[in-house]
Amino acid sequence: MMDLKLWGCALLFPLQIFLCVLRAAVRFLLPPRRKDLGTDVVLVTGGGRGIGRHLAKEFAKQGAKKVILWGRTEKCLKETCEEISAAGTECHYFVCDVGNREEVYQQAKVVREKVGDVTILVNNAAVVHGKSLMNSDDDALLKTQHVNTLGQFWTTKAFLPRMLELCHGHVVCINSILSLSSIPGAIDYCTSKASAYAFMESLTLGLLDCPGVDCTTILPFHTDTEMFQGMRVRFPQLFPPLNPEMVAQRTVDAVRTNTAFVVLPWTMHFIVALKSLLPQSALEEIHKFAGSYTCMNTFKGRT
Amino acid sequence: MNIAAELLVVSFKVIWSFVLAGAKWLVKPREKRVAGQVCVVTGAGSGLGRLFATEFARRRATLVLWDINREANEETAELVRDIYRETEPRRGSGDGVEDVPFYQPRVYTYVCDVSKRESVYSTAEKVRQEVGNVTFLINNAGVVSGHHLLECPDELIERTMMVNCHAHFWTTKAFLPKMLDLNHGHIVTVASSLGLFTTAGVEDYCASKFGAIGFHESLSHELKAANKDGIKMTLVCPFLVDTGMFQGCKIRKEIAPFFPPLKPEYCVEQAMRAILTNQPMVCTPRAMYVVNFMKTILPFDAIVCMYRFLGADKCMYPFLAHRKESTNNNESKI
Repeated sequence: MMDLKLWGCALLFPLQIFLCVLRAAVRFLLPPRRKDLGTDVVLVTGGGRGIGRHLAKEFAKQGAKKVILWGRTEKCLKETCEEISAAGTECHYFVCDVGNREEVYQQAKVVREKVGDVTILVNNAAVVHGKSLMNSDDDALLKTQHVNTLGQFWTTKAFLPRMLELCHGHVVCINSILSLSSIPGAIDYCTSKASAYAFMESLTLGLLDCPGVDCTTILPFHTDTEMFQGMRVRFPQLFPPLNPEMVAQRTVDAVRTNTAFVVLPWTMHFIVALKSLLPQSALEEIHKFAGSYTCMNTFKGRT
Repeated sequence: MNIAAELLVVSFKVIWSFVLAGAKWLVKPREKRVAGQVCVVTGAGSGLGRLFATEFARRRATLVLWDINREANEETAELVRDIYRETEPRRGSGDGVEDVPFYQPRVYTYVCDVSKRESVYSTAEKVRQEVGNVTFLINNAGVVSGHHLLECPDELIERTMMVNCHAHFWTTKAFLPKMLDLNHGHIVTVASSLGLFTTAGVEDYCASKFGAIGFHESLSHELKAANKDGIKMTLVCPFLVDTGMFQGCKIRKEIAPFFPPLKPEYCVEQAMRAILTNQPMVCTPRAMYVVNFMKTILPFDAIVCMYRFLGADKCMYPFLAHRKESTNNNESKI
């Protein structure tokens, strides 16, 4: 009896895979249903500048009820907050370093009391040290891990329980293609983004059983913001840096259609697939040719 | 050189690497000699660490054992000494050429908490002074919190990240400079299949293992970019190993006979073969290469489908329940 069941599942399995691929193709061709953000309170970490700023503005534009900004630089947060308020959406900002666990929990409490329950958490805050391992400062290496990876643990622990109670919520992670395909010269960043990716994938699998609570992870290629200033790709005509506004639009789109993982641009899927097919030495030659071995040599970062 | 010519050269190199890989698959390359070389194993007190130590001992390397548990570490050292005695080549045998120069290896033990940066650096300094230059670094130490994310104390989450991932920064920074000077060395990262794909309930462990792999790959590219081809790197990704660390973990019972928990000896045997033939990555069992590849081409729905078929999406839930129960039992005994 057990064998029959197993054989049945084994035969159904390729069919199920085929149906999933078909469903993905259909979603790609036909516009899927977009959920309404009218009751959602969105919190964006690192919302003062870069992609975070564009994300906050985009969520406001697409109808979010309230937007909350977290960041370390009050000036940037204030400016962004004023811009969003002027456009007609209720906006608040709080100074919070997500790398500091106690600060996260404290500010989460303040947010709950002053603004309300957060239903969309956007883990966007990130830093990069951008040096080779031996040239990296130990404290800077750790700081990157704390902000990019551990910070996401703390914010999720702070806001997810309420989302689960309400059966309504969304955890978003702005990750990076470097989590799936590393380069030299940014070892702190690649390590932290890989960790954050695993955290999101594990969380996504765990939350499949919780109706109403979803996850989205965005993996963009090099985006044209201050953070990676100076980084130079070898063939910018083939792989131009992404526009942060476009990344923000695609993120909000993915949240409204409950898409779990989005790679930007989609051509990056090939790089990731190649990684598991090619022998290591072949991969290294391709990386060298594509210029990823030298792209961080001119890195300046946020000045 | 213009782009077209460079593209041609790269294409040729890619094809050539496939040819070499095929050749290595058909004719296994010879295992390199490690006799007399210094090998540091973190987490040597138990599990895979202990087995790595004994395997290197069999090949007469000098062992440096690091563990947070002094007793367990000393037990491993005893096993290593026994092996040194057993494998001592007989001197003055007369007939035949002695191909291994007579060398008396020793085992050194240090108590070290690899999650503490200062502990790693000071212990590494002691190793440099008391033992010498390190050739092999086996980053093996690993822990798991054993709690669901929302029930997990924050200190345990931090500890998992610090031992499984951040420790690699410190150990590598401690021993890499000399390897770079000599352009000779081998760094082994003992990750896990949970560093290639994840499962629900063990977010901290998956995050730490993915991080270790991200670190390993980034460093690997750095070494290649710096043309340090004398320093090799190997990534070891075993599926569930029967060491008790993940006691209770269960995949779908109908599939389980095809993917039983691995015997640690088998796992380390495969890993040693990879390390000694300078293979960049080894997955045990080999089926994991397929799962890894499928993950990169299938849409997420299909990946979930695959995990559910294998029962892998929630395989850690029984392990977490088991841990919770044993913690409660311990508490009730007090």
